[in-house]
Amino acid sequence: MIYEKYYVWSILLRLYHWCLVISVVALVVTGFYIHSPWTLTTLEGTGLYPVLAMRNIHGLAAYLFTAAILTRIFLLLFGNRHERITDMLPVTSRNLRNMSTTFCSYGYLRDCHDDERLGHNVMAGMIYILTMIVALFQVASGFYLRLPENTFWQKWGIILFSSQQHARYIHHLLMWYFIIFALVHIYLVIWNDLTNEDGITSSIFTGNKFRPRGIK
Amino acid sequence: MSDTTQSIDLNVELNRRGFVKACTMVAAALGISEAMIPKLLEAATSAERPPVLWLHFQECTGCTETLLRGSHPDISRLILEIISLDYHETVMAAAGHQAEKSLQDTLDKYAGKFLCVVEGSIPTKDNGIYCKIAGRTAVDILAEVAPKAAAIIAIGNCATFGNVQAAAPNPTGAKGVRDLVFDTPVINVSGCPPNPISFLGTVLHYLTFNRLPVTDQLGRPLFAYGRRIHDHCERRAHFDEGRFAEEFGDFGHRNGYCLYKVGCKGPETFANCPSVRWNDVEAWPVSVGHGCIGCTEPKFWDTMTPFYERLPNVKIPGIGGVNVDKAGKTILGIAAAAVGIHAAVGIGKKLSRSTKDDKKDI
Ligand code: SF4
Repeated sequence: MIYEKYYVWSILLRLYHWCLVISVVALVVTGFYIHSPWTLTTLEGTGLYPVLAMRNIHGLAAYLFTAAILTRIFLLLFGNRHERITDMLPVTSRNLRNMSTTFCSYGYLRDCHDDERLGHNVMAGMIYILTMIVALFQVASGFYLRLPENTFWQKWGIILFSSQQHARYIHHLLMWYFIIFALVHIYLVIWNDLTNEDGITSSIFTGNKFRPRGIK
Repeated sequence: MSDTTQSIDLNVELNRRGFVKACTMVAAALGISEAMIPKLLEAATSAERPPVLWLHFQECTGCTETLLRGSHPDISRLILEIISLDYHETVMAAAGHQAEKSLQDTLDKYAGKFLCVVEGSIPTKDNGIYCKIAGRTAVDILAEVAPKAAAIIAIGNCATFGNVQAAAPNPTGAKGVRDLVFDTPVINVSGCPPNPISFLGTVLHYLTFNRLPVTDQLGRPLFAYGRRIHDHCERRAHFDEGRFAEEFGDFGHRNGYCLYKVGCKGPETFANCPSVRWNDVEAWPVSVGHGCIGCTEPKFWDTMTPFYERLPNVKIPGIGGVNVDKAGKTILGIAAAAVGIHAAVGIGKKLSRSTKDDKKDI
């Protein structure tokens, strides 16, 4: 079969994706450490500041994470047609049709493919939007904890999360969302790569997807 | 014998030296310049002592006790010296109708001029019947007094955020003053109990500058609640360098390491305990080996407990409290199981299809 190559993911989207991956991994690892720190030595005067260092990495990764999220939100509004929010939510009849195809293919009901689209399926799209919302809460609670004396974050932090302790609790719980998201996301990517021929895994490196010639 | 009488007799004159000393301590806590101390003294000694109505609602009187029984008599006497406590159920001599009369008198005579101090939360459920004084509910009393006060100082976590009475499920509908009073300025001197110096600082600030001190978004004066405990704790170096007490009584604990891992809530709590300290013996919880429990924060009984854990448990109806990470791992496990089943079904389908295809080939 002859395949045709389509350019789907822009450089900015791919950059966002990998920044998110790096920052989430760093944030989860350092986050667990900050929650329950340990050291190999309690020797004083070693000049090592493990907890401080981890907190600094956490802060640095947080800025990368924030930048990534803001980039994705920009792309939701101004990206190419596969990247826009209108392609991700069940708001058009085309997207609604895709909901049922996705459901039937993930549920092994029939052999169903949606050849109408190259971007995310709508189920994934909805989860990604939810992830953006969760991420925004994560950013807000993070900055509230990081900059407690800043009047802007203090105001919004209190409105959204009440005390610092409660913000921290939410911040910790939402971290688990990202861990579970990563598991399901990686599984579904592999699953899609095995069941479809559009080359979903490589598309996040190259930006290209493939379709048999003749089909859109 | 005479000594004991003297130490509990609140009317003993405060000598000049003690007076200046106490004022200086407060000035230090307020963070105002030395040059201002004479002004502070002047305000504190002015003949016109502002009348104060002290209302007790749902509380344990711990805040009053802390103020009046400080080991340092100067602070407590200073308070009684600079304000005219016209109504305070714990310390006033009058009782019954007499007491209520003095409340009414002050309300009539000093409307718009007196300071009102509220100690204790206000129950609002069932028309407020859970707290009644002289036959009237706390809600009614506050509704009458608050609009006539020049300002209200809510003292203690009960009056500021409802404290333990407001902890879930809050059976009496307990609320803090700021949830009920909107037209009169309210300042929150939070804590369970608050440091007497924070209270006195607020009063003296008001007397000296004629306005309430600057507050954070929760209405707590910044001079006392402007910074998190963790950010000026003497054990902070141990925290940064990763030296922790793993449990009470262990090597780290005995060596004065950071109490983070035994549940210290200093990183989430705004208060001046590390700098102002307590009871004039230079002590505060962390300095004597117990973590902060976060008593100046809203909803601290719901969010700071378990006191010896970092984070509150996830409350699941029917099961009760579950550790956050346990809950997270369980959900992750369920997700992993779902993924496994999904993959297995896929593989199964593929296998059965390929065997069918094989048969066709034959
Ligand atoms: S003892 Fe508490 S407040 Fe002090 S550094 Fe450790 S965690 Fe922070």
